Amino acid sequence: MKEGTPPMDGSESGGAIVLERVTKRFGDVTAVNDVEITIESGEFFSLLGPSGCGKTTTLRLIAGFEMPDRGRVLLQGKDVTHLTPQKRNVNMVFQAYGLFPHMTVADNIAFGPKIKKVPNDEIARRVAEILRTVQLEGMEDRRPAQLSGGQQQRVALARSLVNGPAALLLDEPLGALDLKLRKEMQLELKDLQSRTGTTFVYVTHDQEEAMTMSDRIAVMNQGVVEQMATPRELYRRPASAFVAGFIGTSNLITLRVDGREDGLVRMDLGEGERILAPDPEDGAATALITVRPEWIKLALGEVGPRASHVGGTVVDVVYLGSVTQLIVMLRTGERLTVHRLNDEVDGVDPRPGDRVVLHWAAENSFVIGTGLEEPQPGAPADPKPVAKDT
Amino acid sequence: MAAVATPVRRTRRTGRGIFGIMFAPVTLLIVLFLAPMLIMVQMSVVRFPPNVASGYVLEHYRTVLTDPINLKIWWTTLYIGSTAMAIMLAIAMPLAYYMVFKAGKWELFILLALVLADELAPVVKIYAWQSILGREGILNWLIPGSPIAWLLFSRFAVIVTLASTYITYTTIPIYAAMKAIDFSMIEAAVDLGAGWWTQARKILIPLAAPGIFIAMILVYIPMLTDFVTADIVGGTGSYMMGQRVRDLILSGGDWGSGAALNFVMLVVSVVASVFAYWLARLNKIDR
Repeated sequence: MKEGTPPMDGSESGGAIVLERVTKRFGDVTAVNDVEITIESGEFFSLLGPSGCGKTTTLRLIAGFEMPDRGRVLLQGKDVTHLTPQKRNVNMVFQAYGLFPHMTVADNIAFGPKIKKVPNDEIARRVAEILRTVQLEGMEDRRPAQLSGGQQQRVALARSLVNGPAALLLDEPLGALDLKLRKEMQLELKDLQSRTGTTFVYVTHDQEEAMTMSDRIAVMNQGVVEQMATPRELYRRPASAFVAGFIGTSNLITLRVDGREDGLVRMDLGEGERILAPDPEDGAATALITVRPEWIKLALGEVGPRASHVGGTVVDVVYLGSVTQLIVMLRTGERLTVHRLNDEVDGVDPRPGDRVVLHWAAENSFVIGTGLEEPQPGAPADPKPVAKDT
Repeated sequence: MAAVATPVRRTRRTGRGIFGIMFAPVTLLIVLFLAPMLIMVQMSVVRFPPNVASGYVLEHYRTVLTDPINLKIWWTTLYIGSTAMAIMLAIAMPLAYYMVFKAGKWELFILLALVLADELAPVVKIYAWQSILGREGILNWLIPGSPIAWLLFSRFAVIVTLASTYITYTTIPIYAAMKAIDFSMIEAAVDLGAGWWTQARKILIPLAAPGIFIAMILVYIPMLTDFVTADIVGGTGSYMMGQRVRDLILSGGDWGSGAALNFVMLVVSVVASVFAYWLARLNKIDR
């Protein structure tokens, strides 16, 4: 925050928040399984995954609303595993906001500082300052019910930030807002985070939202962290089939290794058609690869030697605005999703039933894993090529 | 073919229906509720002994309002009622909280137990307390040493028995009010550093206030007029207003004073109810 409440520096302890091999069970269900996360000070960190993946439980473990069955939680290098939420220097923004309906905006925000026995004039100063920060000046005497959804959201943020927490924990805070407001609030949140320098831990199931705002993202599935990386890294180099499918649209192909040369592996489909990928160099007989739809091009002329080259029939054409999505069925029966930018003036306008030739550079086949049947142990990989929209 | 005519007829019927539906309950209300009350009011102003030629006076009201005995009984009644109320609130608040936020699958079970406990005939419950609190009762049998005399036939016994009789009516309105509280408000308070007392004082009690006021209306009024409990487990120090009215009418034959006293209590109850209702309205929050 500002001068009065500087962000705590947790760098010397190896991260503002550290989860050490944390496991949490509810009855027979393991909600969080052996999770290891380090969140740096000042970072915008997102926990991303489908509902029931354990992301909210992970957040609540950090806040102190849940106690882990195994493992440790460290805040700024201090072991807080067994501390109650009241004793942890983090604050949470709830999905339903949890604003106190019988109090004014100012009283809502002053709730935390009052408990911490901050002097009254100091509280008034901080409340005024934080109201300015979240652009709610003049609203201090309103009740939450008199505010719009976006304004309520900002009150919830202000109520947490006014305490100068080491980290702000946000549990799908934009879920209740409509799409347009959500987009605005995403940018506002990111802006607020960089202005205050506070560590944000953000839970969402919306991959686009996570990509827009985060410095780093932990993709969770069935209680485990599948991958923890920057948005760019997650998109370009997904560590598992799940991540590839969850982040953006992706084609997953199980590659049967028919040959190896020049640092590439090759699957022959007959009649000169082939799929190429960088050689993982472990001698495995199959490789699971992912190809992003926008990297696949329609071949108009000769296809270079270091490019995959397959023919197929267009089965579906969907106009998506900036791109057109084609679903192309290969001779093997597998389907590939292809995105074409709508600014291309090549005169080619494929229709369902048309024969097309596709190609993409071998380097754009990203190898997720290798092996025989189950390429990535632990990942619920669908070995068939799938195009999944999220 | 006939479908065209039907809607018209149906509209007409609905118009008449409102009065048809309301006729029976309104009549019942007048015959069974208002009429006895009017008779009571009339009784309270008829000169004693009551007969056709006795005429009307306000004498009885002057007597019941100035008699120092009545004033003393009024304080005893308020003391017993308020202590019982305080005990019930102290039990009902945490119980309702537990039921709403912590009990999970036991919530319904506790609710059912509360309702069943109320279904038990009050007299049976009162006699049960007699056997618990008595000189040879369960409590004195459990506590070593010479038997404690003040457990039964005392204010203490009346308070305990009243509290156990009306606990259902105290808990359920508070439970209903708490049911409307989003648990994330409690968690937000915890997250901001509130201990249990701050949570109760700043969040739970203000938000459950409408339920608390309703509980107080529901319980205070019957408690203030109760005479069976004090009769069976009470002693000389627990003579209550309900007993006073009963004794004035049945033992003393003083229908005028009994009715006047009863009417004064009715007015006090109505004023208190309106006040509580106003407080509840004041605390009603747009969510």
